[in-house]
Amino acid sequence: MDAGALSSQLVLGLSRGMLYFIVAAGLTLVFGVLRIINFAHGSFYMLGAFLSFSVAEMVGKQNPAGFWLALLVAPLIVAALSIVIERGLMRFVYGQEHLIQVLLTYALVLIFGDLVKMIWGTEFKSVSVPSIFIGNLSLAGIIIPIYYVFLLIVGPLVALGLWMFLHHTVTGKICRATATDRQMVDVLGINSTRVFGTVFALGGWLAGLGGALMAPMVNIGMGMDTSMIVYAFLVVVVGGLGNIWGTLISALILGVAEALGVLFVPDLAIVVPYVVIGILLILRPSGLLKSVW
Amino acid sequence: MKKRFHLRYQAWLVISSMILGVLLTGCGQATPAPSGNSGTASGGSKLSVKVGYIDSLSGPAAAYGKSTEAGIKIAIDEVAKAGGPTIDLVERDDNFKPDVAEAMAKELVMNQNINILVGTVNSAGALAVSKFAKDNKVLFINSDSMSEKITGAQGHRYVFSIVGNTAMIGKAGAYQMSKMPYKRYWLAGSDYEFGHSVVNSVWTNLQQLKPDVQKIGESWWKVGESDFSSYINAIRAAKPDAVYVGSGGGDTVALLKAIKQSGLNTELPIFIHNSTDFDSLRPLGQDAPEGIYGTTFYRYDFPDNPTSKAFAETYKKATGNYPGFAGLNGYLTIKFLAAAIEKSKSTDNEKVIDALEGLSLDTPAGKGTIRKEDHQLMLPMVFGKTVKSPTEPYLITTDNVLIPADQIMPSVADVLKTRTK
Repeated sequence: MDAGALSSQLVLGLSRGMLYFIVAAGLTLVFGVLRIINFAHGSFYMLGAFLSFSVAEMVGKQNPAGFWLALLVAPLIVAALSIVIERGLMRFVYGQEHLIQVLLTYALVLIFGDLVKMIWGTEFKSVSVPSIFIGNLSLAGIIIPIYYVFLLIVGPLVALGLWMFLHHTVTGKICRATATDRQMVDVLGINSTRVFGTVFALGGWLAGLGGALMAPMVNIGMGMDTSMIVYAFLVVVVGGLGNIWGTLISALILGVAEALGVLFVPDLAIVVPYVVIGILLILRPSGLLKSVW
Repeated sequence: MKKRFHLRYQAWLVISSMILGVLLTGCGQATPAPSGNSGTASGGSKLSVKVGYIDSLSGPAAAYGKSTEAGIKIAIDEVAKAGGPTIDLVERDDNFKPDVAEAMAKELVMNQNINILVGTVNSAGALAVSKFAKDNKVLFINSDSMSEKITGAQGHRYVFSIVGNTAMIGKAGAYQMSKMPYKRYWLAGSDYEFGHSVVNSVWTNLQQLKPDVQKIGESWWKVGESDFSSYINAIRAAKPDAVYVGSGGGDTVALLKAIKQSGLNTELPIFIHNSTDFDSLRPLGQDAPEGIYGTTFYRYDFPDNPTSKAFAETYKKATGNYPGFAGLNGYLTIKFLAAAIEKSKSTDNEKVIDALEGLSLDTPAGKGTIRKEDHQLMLPMVFGKTVKSPTEPYLITTDNVLIPADQIMPSVADVLKTRTK
C-alpha cells in the first residue's frame, strides 16, 4: 500500500462525501424547518439527473455548454416543481400526523418513479463529462479524475452559500427562527408559510443540483432515487437532524469511510460505512451535532 | 424539553426509514394488462394460446425487461403472420422483486387460467416462478435470467431456459482468458447472485485450464453502485496483471463509464462479461472505454448472417435501436414456444413440453437446440473487444471470436449431478 493510493482514496472519499452533503443538506433543511420527512427527496435527485440529460441532449452532446447549462437549468426546474408540490400538496398536511405526511411523500416517490418512466423511458442514459474535466489529475502520487476535483470545489461553495443564506438574509434568519420555535415566529407576525415554500424549493434545488452533478459520473436510470434517499437519510440522522454542519461532517465521514473500506477490506467494503454509522450512533445517539438552529 | 422533542423526531425518522425500506423491497404495482379471451380457437385448425409474461418493466433492470418485451412482441407478430398459433400475451410487471414475480405467477395461473408462463430478468424471481411452475405443473420458459440453477440444481420437467447461463459465461470467458499471458488477477463484481455466480464460474474454470493463475484480491459493490472511482483506485493500487468483473446490467454501464474517465483501460486488460453487449455500449456513446474484453450471447453484427440481419432490422424498425441480447431472448422464447405448439399441434402444456425437448431452430445467433436432458438452450457465445466505430455514434466490438455451444455447455452428467445433491 503506497501513500499515493491512500491519499487518492482519501480525496475520492471526500469528493463523494461532498455529493452526499449537497443532497442531504436539502433533506435536513426541509426537515428542520417544515418538520416533514420528505421521502420524495430522492425523486428530486433523480429528476435533476434526468433533466440534466435532457438539457445536455437538447444543446447537443458534443457541445461543452450543455453540461453547464444543465447544471444551471435542471436544479431550477426541480426547484420550481418543488414550489408547486409545496403549494399544491404539502401545505395541507403541515398540521397533520407524521404518518399522513409520510404517506404523502411516499406517494410522490411512486408517482415520480412512474412519471420518469413515462417521460424518459426505461433505457439507461448518459451525460458526458465536459471536455475540460476529462482525464486524471496526477499530483505527488495522487491520481484522481479531474471531475472529482471539481466536486471538491463545488461542495464547499454550496456549504458557504447555505451559510450565507441562513445567517445573512432575512429569509434565512426566519428559517432558523422557524426551525427553533415556529409559534414564536407566528406571534411576531411573520408569515412562516412563505418561508416554507422557499425552503422546500431550496431543498428541491439542492437535490436537483446533486442529481445534475452526479449525472456525468453515472448511468442515469430508474432506481437512482431509492439508492440515494437511503444514504441521504443516514447522513441526516448521523449529522443531527436539521443541522447543516452536522450533515456536512457526517457526509464527509460516510464518503471517506466508504472509500477506505474499498481500499482496505475490499471484499467487505459494503458494510464498512454502516458499521461506522452504527458506532457513531451508539456514541452519539442524537447525532454528531445538536439541532442548533 | 427541547431534547425530548428532538429525540421524538429522531425516533420517527428511524421508524419511517424502516417502513420505507420494507415498502421499497416488499411491494410493487402491477401494470394493467389487456385481458384477452381464453384459448378459444379462432377458426379452422389455427391454435390460440394465452401466455403469461412476467418481467421487470420498472425498477433498476427495466431497460432489459423492456428489450425482452420488444423482442417478444416482434416474435408474436411474425408467428401470427406466418400462420402460426395466435399468442395472446398477458403482461405483469414484477418491479425486479422476486416475491412480486411469484405473486404474479400465481395470479396469472389461478385467475387467468394460464398454463404457460415466460419471464423474468430477476434470477431469484425466475427461480421462484420455476418452483411454482413445478408444484402446479404449468410450463415456465425462462427468457431472461442467467442463473445456472434454473436448468441446473433446481431444474425440473416444467422449466426451460432460452437464455444462456452463468456456467456457460464462466466456461466461455475462462476459455479465452486461458490463452492470454496474464497470471495475477483481481476479481470484482456486483454483490448479488448473478455477480458472484459469474465470477466463481470463471475463476473455477480458469484455474482448471491454467493452474498457475493467482488471485490477488477481490472487491464487491452493491447493486446500483453509482461511484466506481474508489474501486478503480484500489484496483490500480493492487497492480494486478488483469481484472475480471462480473457485474449486473446497469452496474456494467456505470462501471464502463467510470473506467473510461479514470483511464484504467489503458493501464490493464479488463474482462467484463456483458461489456460487449449492445445494450451496455449504446447508451454510453463515446463515453465507453476502448479495449475492454467481454463475452455476450448475441451481437447483431457478428457473425454476419442473413437471419441475424433480418431480425436486427425488424427490431430497429420497432424500437429505434438494434437489439442487444435481451431483445433476442424475448424473440427466441416466443419462437421456440410457437414452434413447439405447431409441432405438437396442441396448447396442452404437457404436449408442448415434449415438443420443446430437443427442438432445434435456426436463430439469429446461429443454430439453437434445446437439450432434452436439462432443458437448456444451447447457443454459441461471442468473445470480443470494444473499439470505436468509424460510422456509429457508439462503440462496437473487434477481434470477435465465436465460441461454439459444445465448448461452453456444462456436460449433461455434470448438470444432472447437481440435481441429485
